[in-house]
Amino acid sequence: MKIELVVNGIQRTAHCEERTLLADLLRENLGLTGTHIGCDTSQCGCCTVQLDGQAVKSCTVLAAQADGSEVVTIEGLAQGDRLHVVQQAFSACHGLQCGFCTPGMIMASVDLLKKHPSPTDDQIRDGLAGNLCRCTGYVNIVAAVKTAAAQMAAATGSQGARS
Amino acid sequence: MSAIIDTRTSELKPARHEDLRLVTGHGKFTADWNLPRQLHAHMVRSDRAHARLVSVDTSAAAAAPGVVAVLTAWDVAEAGFHELPSGPPLTGSDGKPQEKRPLPILASDRVRFVGQPIAMIIADSAVAAQDAAEQVLVDYEELPAVASMAAALAAGAPQLHEGMPGNVGFVFEAGDRAAVEAAFARATRTTTLRMHSQRLIGAPMELRACLASYDTAREHFTVYTPTQGMLGMRSSLAAVTGFDASRIEVVAQDVGGSFGLRGGPYAEQVLVMLAARKLGRPVKWVGSRSEVFLSDWHGRALTIEGSVALDHNNNILAFRFEDQADLGAHNCYFQSMIGTKNITVTMSGVYKVPALFARSTLVYTNTVPVSAYRGAGRPDIAYAIERLIDQAAAEHSLDRVALRRRNFIAPSAFPYTTANGTVYDCGEFAAVMDKSLKLADYAGFPARRQTSESQGKLRGIGFGCYLEASGAGGAPKDVVSVRFQGDGLLHLYGATGPSGQGHETSFAQIVSDGLGVPRDLIRYRASDPTQELMGNGTGGSRSLYGAGSAFKILIGNLVARARPHAARALASPEGTLEFHHGTFHAGEHHISLLDLAASLQGPSPHPLDCEGESISGSTFPNGCHVAEVEIDPATGITEVINYTAVDDLGFVVSPQLVQGQVHGGVLQGAGQVFGEHAIYDPESAQLLTGSFMDYVMPRVGWVPNITTDYHLVPTKLNALGAKGVGESGCSGSLPALVNAMSDALRRVGVPPLDMPFTPAIVWQALQQRV
Repeated sequence: MKIELVVNGIQRTAHCEERTLLADLLRENLGLTGTHIGCDTSQCGCCTVQLDGQAVKSCTVLAAQADGSEVVTIEGLAQGDRLHVVQQAFSACHGLQCGFCTPGMIMASVDLLKKHPSPTDDQIRDGLAGNLCRCTGYVNIVAAVKTAAAQMAAATGSQGARS
Repeated sequence: MSAIIDTRTSELKPARHEDLRLVTGHGKFTADWNLPRQLHAHMVRSDRAHARLVSVDTSAAAAAPGVVAVLTAWDVAEAGFHELPSGPPLTGSDGKPQEKRPLPILASDRVRFVGQPIAMIIADSAVAAQDAAEQVLVDYEELPAVASMAAALAAGAPQLHEGMPGNVGFVFEAGDRAAVEAAFARATRTTTLRMHSQRLIGAPMELRACLASYDTAREHFTVYTPTQGMLGMRSSLAAVTGFDASRIEVVAQDVGGSFGLRGGPYAEQVLVMLAARKLGRPVKWVGSRSEVFLSDWHGRALTIEGSVALDHNNNILAFRFEDQADLGAHNCYFQSMIGTKNITVTMSGVYKVPALFARSTLVYTNTVPVSAYRGAGRPDIAYAIERLIDQAAAEHSLDRVALRRRNFIAPSAFPYTTANGTVYDCGEFAAVMDKSLKLADYAGFPARRQTSESQGKLRGIGFGCYLEASGAGGAPKDVVSVRFQGDGLLHLYGATGPSGQGHETSFAQIVSDGLGVPRDLIRYRASDPTQELMGNGTGGSRSLYGAGSAFKILIGNLVARARPHAARALASPEGTLEFHHGTFHAGEHHISLLDLAASLQGPSPHPLDCEGESISGSTFPNGCHVAEVEIDPATGITEVINYTAVDDLGFVVSPQLVQGQVHGGVLQGAGQVFGEHAIYDPESAQLLTGSFMDYVMPRVGWVPNITTDYHLVPTKLNALGAKGVGESGCSGSLPALVNAMSDALRRVGVPPLDMPFTPAIVWQALQQRV
């Protein structure tokens, strides 16, 4: 079947089987290997992307379901050379080690911060409950989310002050 | 630790060089590589735990759409491949060398565990290969299976291997049995505790994969695979396949965690090599998570019975350990060291113990083979010792702190040789414990407990004073190199491979600090096909001090090599030159090292290219971790209210990275304490916890607060003074958390429990208590 969708702002067309998962479409058909596959039971969250503005686990979405939709993957988060504040925060806080869970963890964090710009510890725990990390022990990931939240608030604040 | 923020711009600064590609999705893990015309492989695996393979009919599969080839044991034999490596044989208690039963690359006449590889299907797409695999007809003649060591050792149990009666693979002893028995005979008080360190699934987040291509003209393989060091993987692949190592290049740019499980080759790596050569096209295999649950080696799976003998002043007279280690169905690399040497090298812990003895029995069962997983036996013995000490304190109404303090090896006693011959070089165990207990506000605990109890909760505090031996390293020495390639950068090479530890940053940091060259201008690459560098892969927490010490030596060699060139460039005698901040100075004239290198650029080799080497054996990282827990008796749910880690790591190069290793190790320990358990059905020996739906993994918030601090006693055993940190988080967290749980539960009459302390298990224990 033919799938047409916008990925990271670019119109793409791909051909795949009905059973093809969105994660496989992105990785194999579209060459975007930043989205990772870490399990086969929707538990690990490594495959998290944005589908029409919502974070989804792309291993649990059929490519067909994304026909006509907008997808943002980890590769589409930065603006050219300028990293998204969540990407910067993850690195600054050492919230990644091997990096395999990181794309999904970042995409889930971006979604979390959209819903809760100033998240409490419980909201972070809930928001990232669907993402596994085996390396970091999570402490620095939580710090990264909070740091990103503070940076985003400061940026908004300073813009507010200027206007 | 707070984020690194550039104070001038308020911008967040990256902690590591490797982060940029990883946070933008441009890392290259093995499954991310694709080669033109590649074929895809899918494995056929046994779905029985123990059976004779009557026949394996691959004809329908071979004829299925898209299928190009099917490999069976016959193809492996025809290719003349050797066995997968299972490590050097140890010497048994009977004085004889260990006999092994290595895992066949593909099963021929018998299968001995669910998941054992039987065939590989190769097709033009992954789904075609997977569909075809379902058409392979395996005729099994089932045999009774044993899923546990107890079942395997029982009279009348089915025998897994010829020549291994009773399913006993090996018996090992260390220490002095007679001295220990004498100590127990004259002891004033003794305590015995049987503890189980349950079977775990290591579960690095990257699914194991491999891709091999064969260049027919050059007779040369390129193998993409996770590793813990490309040179080590290459020599193992060479040993198995019979191809010379010079004809094999191993590529592993990014590795998604390994924890000991991705160091050596599995069947799939050598099979894709066989297939690539046979078919003239690259062949790629990517495992699924439930498949990797059955095909990566498992971890831990030990039972240790520990006993301590005390005299009338509560001095420790002896430790005695009896352990059983589950081998799984076959021997595999490193496995036999875990329940034997790794347990016994540091079985004195941090205490002066005049008599030590351990006896280890390694047992075959119809389960996935068990190998090294973060700590590989060292967390298990630290756990056993520290839990035993707490149990002795409880049974004999002794203070846990005082009992330890009087038995610590004193700083003045170093170098200290343990009763079984291990030489500890240095340590300040009392100072470490005091610092940790103070940070954890141990003294204030009774008041906090009262508050919890007034709210109907149970509260416990526990700590573990662990010591472990870091890896001695199998290679004769660690050699690292620097190459100047005309791009204004220093290129560093070493044999040790990262899987998240941050080698590209920490080794660059060492060289940056030593030379005064900005870290941004330094690149570390874990091995390179043109580099024939001797050295140890990652393992046993030795990369930083092993390769790092070699880099420290390299710094001196590089400056010495550059000096005459600088003298010429500055038209000044060598003796007048000073080197600091990356620059040679002669009075007011100066030339930076990088400018000097650029000026000397010409045909290879560059005149400043050089090496550094170092021989570093084991070091003895140690620490005291304190955990405080609160249990809700209504649900059995435990919250880890606080966690404090004070570690003696000798010397710290990259504080953020070291802290990250501690955090990661602590959470893996917490995983084992609170939920992880690879459970087999006792009848069928099927793995019941076959996916992340059933195998509990630690998640965000499991240990929300971890306070880390250090009490550093630099070691003289290597040029950096550093001790390993990679695995110590596990050694500290198992005893700290379990001692805390025991402290809480003992108070309400619950007898000692084994891990995991799941809510159901804790709740049940609370219902059943006297």
